[in-house]
Amino acid sequence: MTEQKSLFSDEITRSGNGINLSVKLGKIKLDNPVIACSGTFGCGVEYNNFYNTAVLGAVTTKSYSLEPMEGNPPPRIYETAAGVLNSIGLQNDGIDAFIKKHLPGAEKLGIKIILSIFGQDLREFDKIAYRILKIEDIREKITAVELNLSCPNIKKGGMAFSAVPGEVREIVGSVVNILNIPVIAKLSPNQDNIIEAAAAAREGGAQAVSIINTVVGMAVDIKTFRPGLGNILGGLSGPAIKPIALAKVYSLAREKILPVIGMGGIFNWEDALEFLVAGAGAVGIGTVNFIQYDAGKRIIEGLRNYLESRKIYDINEVIGRIRT
Amino acid sequence: MKLLSGEILSNERYGDNLYRIEVFSPYICNNAQAGQFVNVKCSYDGSLDPFLRRPFAIFDIEKKFNVFSILYLLRGRGTRFLSLLEQGDMLDFAGPLGKPVDLTGAGANVLLIGGGIGIAPLHLIARIAVRIKNNVFFAAGFKDNAFLRWEKDLIRLKINYAVMTEDGSWGEKGLVSDYIWENLKTFENYDIYCCGPCDMLKTLQNIYKNKKNKVTAFLEEKMACGVGVCGGCVVRIKKGGKGFSYQKVCEDGPAFNLGEVLFD
Repeated sequence: MTEQKSLFSDEITRSGNGINLSVKLGKIKLDNPVIACSGTFGCGVEYNNFYNTAVLGAVTTKSYSLEPMEGNPPPRIYETAAGVLNSIGLQNDGIDAFIKKHLPGAEKLGIKIILSIFGQDLREFDKIAYRILKIEDIREKITAVELNLSCPNIKKGGMAFSAVPGEVREIVGSVVNILNIPVIAKLSPNQDNIIEAAAAAREGGAQAVSIINTVVGMAVDIKTFRPGLGNILGGLSGPAIKPIALAKVYSLAREKILPVIGMGGIFNWEDALEFLVAGAGAVGIGTVNFIQYDAGKRIIEGLRNYLESRKIYDINEVIGRIRT
Repeated sequence: MKLLSGEILSNERYGDNLYRIEVFSPYICNNAQAGQFVNVKCSYDGSLDPFLRRPFAIFDIEKKFNVFSILYLLRGRGTRFLSLLEQGDMLDFAGPLGKPVDLTGAGANVLLIGGGIGIAPLHLIARIAVRIKNNVFFAAGFKDNAFLRWEKDLIRLKINYAVMTEDGSWGEKGLVSDYIWENLKTFENYDIYCCGPCDMLKTLQNIYKNKKNKVTAFLEEKMACGVGVCGGCVVRIKKGGKGFSYQKVCEDGPAFNLGEVLFD
């Protein structure tokens, strides 16, 4: 009779066997290109029960707002073919709770934090940035701040900030001016202007863009004729959206506007490699964390083994090397 | 909580669509407490169907043999996968998850009210409670006699029990909530733990609205992560006068004070 812990040991060296896994996205330096996506990993503390989450390139926190938010009515989850729809509604306990409660726990474990934030308007983004500014030794504790620009702009009728490049430029510019740490803009795939939005983020001073956030989707319960989600519409994630994400990453990366953190449906190291080859400077793993609790470790290990087997000693040699 | 892989010692058909799977896991047996659950991967490694893990209450723990078990109804793709696993296969699961139920704080008398597969988490509570309480009573209700074999497990616990079935094929004919209603006085000084369909819980909530009993209900909601990070599995719990807060079944529950639950 046997009982085993997860399959891999905790001893992933960040650049073991002479292979360089470290990447640079503007001023952001990561030990390896695997980042846990916002909203799927907490601050990395819970998952530390499954593996040493400090081995990840970084952990992007759930998105924090100025005040705590209750989120959307349930049901919030609906399983689809090779994916999941969610309408969490950005439930969170507010930026102050992150600073006082969640950050110290992550810090203790040596987790590299990318702090995700969102506001209902420019003023709120600024206010949150000022609160972040008060964190002692901020540069040591926070690798970067990611602005969730896929959330609705209440003052503009609920349309996502990233739908309007002018708004992107203004918010990024304002937060960059307040904070002395790198800023990443996370953009939505639900408007056809990712290139313009990324250009606006660069003008605002962002160091990188994260794409893609979830794709708008819906489900209907045919037993009750009611929507599958309490909020009716939700965001689709998981392998179902991977080809969409790859296309967006490829299209944006070749414009060489800003380094791209590619995400959307990555399930294993092969998927991660596809994104890197398509031009992503780093990759985000999200929904897979719900299914394969030790996915982050497996993907880092898988990438390292691949490079080793192909005698490629630097991961940067595969980034953007797609042959078209 | 840990991510584990345990050998399946048996996966028996218990009734019509009812199965009991036994898994070797010293870690779960030494660390799980009453009211906790495991989140099980119900697909082969690399497969995407079904996509999400499935949460199951820990039905029983045999510490002596380092074996825990799950009772499940074959309902969809996840449980179909489980039903096909055989002795010697490995089960991929994480646990123990959820907030444990503290039985040491409960009164001397414990009443368990289970409806259908809702008996699963209560069975472990009964097993633990019987060691530390004066009196444990299990009231269970089913549609028919598909759970008949469970009676043997129940008898082994050496507690008093009553079974109700809707078709009268086992025990008394009727609903378990009818039984509770008719015996309210008997259970006046009992702490209550209940789990079952939403309608049953709503009825119990009405029955115990102005009573002094401490009533704890096990809830379920569609879950994604199972470890408290995604915020998917929320239920509405009363907060202050008319307000409520969304609480996570996986992390804040699955046990909640029934009087504070806001049903749709």
